[in-house]
Amino acid sequence: MELKIFHFYPDLMSLYGSYANVSVLARRLEALGNTVTVERVAPGQAAELSGADFLFMGAGTERAQKAALADFARFGDAVKDAAAGGTAMLFAGNAMELLGKTITAADGTAYPGIALASFTSSQGPQRFAEDVLGVTDLYPEPVVGFINKCATIEGVETPLLFALSLGFGNSGKRTPEGFHQNNVFASQLTGPLLVKNPRMLDAVVSAIYRQRGETLPPQLPSDRWAEDGYAITAEQLRLRCEHAGS
Amino acid sequence: MFLAILVCKLGRFVGKLVGKGSSMPGKFALKICPDILRRVQMPPHIIAVTGSNGKTSTVEMIAAILRADGRNVVYNEEGSNQIEGVTTLVLTHATLGGRVKADVLLIESDERYAAHSFRFFHPTQFVVTNLYRDQLTRNGHPEWVYDAILPAIHPETKLILNADDPLSSCFGAGHEAVKWFGLSRCSISCDAPTGVYHDGAYCPLCHAPMEYDYVHYNHIGAYRCTGCGHCKPSTDYTATAVDLTRGLLTIDGSLTVQLAFCSIYNVYNILAAYAACRECGVAAEIAAGVIGNYVLKNGRMQTFTLGVHHGTLLTSKHENSIAYDTNLRYIASTTAPCTVMVMVDAVSRKYFTSETSWLWDIDFDLLDCPHVEKIVLCGRYCNDLAERFSFTGIPEERLTVGADIPAECARLKAQGDEALYVVTCFSDRDKLLSQVEKED
Ligand SMILES: [Zn+2]
Repeated sequence: MELKIFHFYPDLMSLYGSYANVSVLARRLEALGNTVTVERVAPGQAAELSGADFLFMGAGTERAQKAALADFARFGDAVKDAAAGGTAMLFAGNAMELLGKTITAADGTAYPGIALASFTSSQGPQRFAEDVLGVTDLYPEPVVGFINKCATIEGVETPLLFALSLGFGNSGKRTPEGFHQNNVFASQLTGPLLVKNPRMLDAVVSAIYRQRGETLPPQLPSDRWAEDGYAITAEQLRLRCEHAGS
Repeated sequence: MFLAILVCKLGRFVGKLVGKGSSMPGKFALKICPDILRRVQMPPHIIAVTGSNGKTSTVEMIAAILRADGRNVVYNEEGSNQIEGVTTLVLTHATLGGRVKADVLLIESDERYAAHSFRFFHPTQFVVTNLYRDQLTRNGHPEWVYDAILPAIHPETKLILNADDPLSSCFGAGHEAVKWFGLSRCSISCDAPTGVYHDGAYCPLCHAPMEYDYVHYNHIGAYRCTGCGHCKPSTDYTATAVDLTRGLLTIDGSLTVQLAFCSIYNVYNILAAYAACRECGVAAEIAAGVIGNYVLKNGRMQTFTLGVHHGTLLTSKHENSIAYDTNLRYIASTTAPCTVMVMVDAVSRKYFTSETSWLWDIDFDLLDCPHVEKIVLCGRYCNDLAERFSFTGIPEERLTVGADIPAECARLKAQGDEALYVVTCFSDRDKLLSQVEKED
C-alpha cells in the first residue's frame, strides 16, 4: 500500500523524543512492504488530511502547546471527520489535551480544544513526572512509559490505559490514563511510546490496516532490540511497584 | 542567630568527622532561625551560577581566577546547591557575630531551587550559563526551568547571560543590569541549527519562526525572531576566534589563551567565568593567565588504559542530549581509529527511573564516521541504545551490544590497540573506572 502519515508541528511539539513514534511506525509499515510518506506540517502550512492514514502530534512546552493549538484549530473539523471515518491517529504527551473541549492554563485562561472528545484539561503549578506501568484492553502485556505533565484531565470515559499500578493518570495518582476511541489513540505518556511498547505499535499498525480493509500477514516483523528493551523496562517497573508496595 | 551559627558550625564539625554530607547542619540552623540568611552580613560580592550545563566547571574556574587575584572566596565545592547546603556554607564561614569572612561568596545554584535559596538574600552577580533539555524527568522542560528561575532574579542583581542561547537570554528582557557573553562567527560555526531536535526553531517569546545567521552547536548562535525581534544581543565579553585544532581561544580580539580541553563546551564556561570575574574587578590578564591551560578538577575527562588501549572517559550527563552531542562531536573531530563505548546502566544515581526517551534526542549519527571503527553499547539499557542506533546511518556490523559492563571491558581489553572513548554519565562512570587503569 501507499500510506501517508501527517506529523503535526515536528519542531514545535517535539519534547522527549516524540518524533521517534513516527520513525518507528514508518519503519514498521515499510517492513510490511508498504510505501510510506511522512508529511511534516508546520504552523501555517496547508495540509490536505482527507488521504491520511495516520495523524501524529507529540509533546511540547505549555507555551508551545498553546501556539500549536492556535494553529491546529483550523484542522479541527478535518481531524474530527477523519476520526469519525476511522483514520488512525496518536496524540502523545500534552498534544492529547488539544483533542478535548478546553485547556485551562495555570493562569486561569481557558483555551478551546478541537472537541473531538468531551474531556477537559486543567494545568497547574505542579508537575507530575514519573514512571508509568499500566494495563490496556488492547492486549494482555503491561504498558510502560513515563508521564511528564502539569495537567489533570477530567471526563474521559474510554481511557487507553484502564488501570495504572505506577504513575499519575488522567485525574490523579494511579487513575486511568489517556483516551482511546475507535482508531483514535491519545496518551500523556511522553516520548517514543510506540518504541517502548512494541504491542502498542502493533495495535496502531493493525488500526491502519483495518481502516484500509487490508489483512495483516500472520507473521509480523519483530524488532529484537525494542522487544528486549521493553522486557527490561517492564521488569524494572514491576520491581519498583513491588518495592513501593512493601 | 548566634545559636543557629553555633549549631551549624558544630554540625559541620561533627559531619566532617563522620563523613556525612553538608546539608544537614544548614537544615538544623534553618530550623532554629528560618531567616538566618537575611540576618548574616554577606561579603561584598555574591556570585551565583545556574543553568543546565557547565555550572560546576564555571564555578571552579571563577574560584581559581578570583583566588589568583588574591580574593578570599567561599564556595560550595561539594556541590550541595540547595538552600540547606548554601546555609551550611555561609554559616560555616561566618563569625559568631554573623559576618561572613570572605570577599566573595560563590554559589552553584540548582536551577529549580534558586528562587528558594535567594529568598533571604540576592546575588550581586547572577550567571546563567544556558538552558537546555536536561533531566527532563525532574525538570519537565527548559521553559519550565526558566519559569522556576525567574522569581530568583532580583531587580538589583547584575545578570551575566549567554547571548547565544535564545532561551536563557530572555532573562535580559526588561532587566536593567545585564552583561552578555558570546561567541562570534568563527571557524567552527555552521549556517543552520544542528541536532535531532530544534528547540531554537521558534521564538521563546512569541513563537514566530526564528532565523539563524550562524550557530556554534545545536541551536546556540546568532538567532533572530521573525516576529518580535528577539535576537542575539551584542556582547560585552566575546570569544572572537576559536581554533579547536590548536586549542586556541581569543577573547575580545586581544587575549589569546591555550585550552587544556579543546571542546566548544569549555569555551562557553570560560567566557562565563571570565565575564563574572571581570565584573568583580579582576584584570583581563590575570583572568586569562588562569584560564590558559586550566585543567578542571571535576574530572569530566579522565584518561585511562585498558590493556593496550589508551582510553578517554568523556563524562556526559544522562538525560542531557547537548552534553552527549558535544562529546560525540569531539570524538568525530579526532582522526585516529577508535572504538566508542556508550554506557547507560543507571539513568540517575539520585532517583529511580526507567525513562530512556532522552536517547532519542542525542545525535548519535555524529559517530557515523570512518575512524569510529567499532561502537560498544552496554549497561542495563543497552537494548534501548541499540534500538536508537538502529535509526542512525551507522552500519549494524560496527555495533556490539551487551548489558554486562565488565564483560564488555574484558572483551575490549583482549583485542586491538585502537584508541577508546567512553561516553557515559557520572551515575555510571565508576562502573568503567573499576575495570581500567586510571591515568593522572
Ligand atoms: Zn519573537
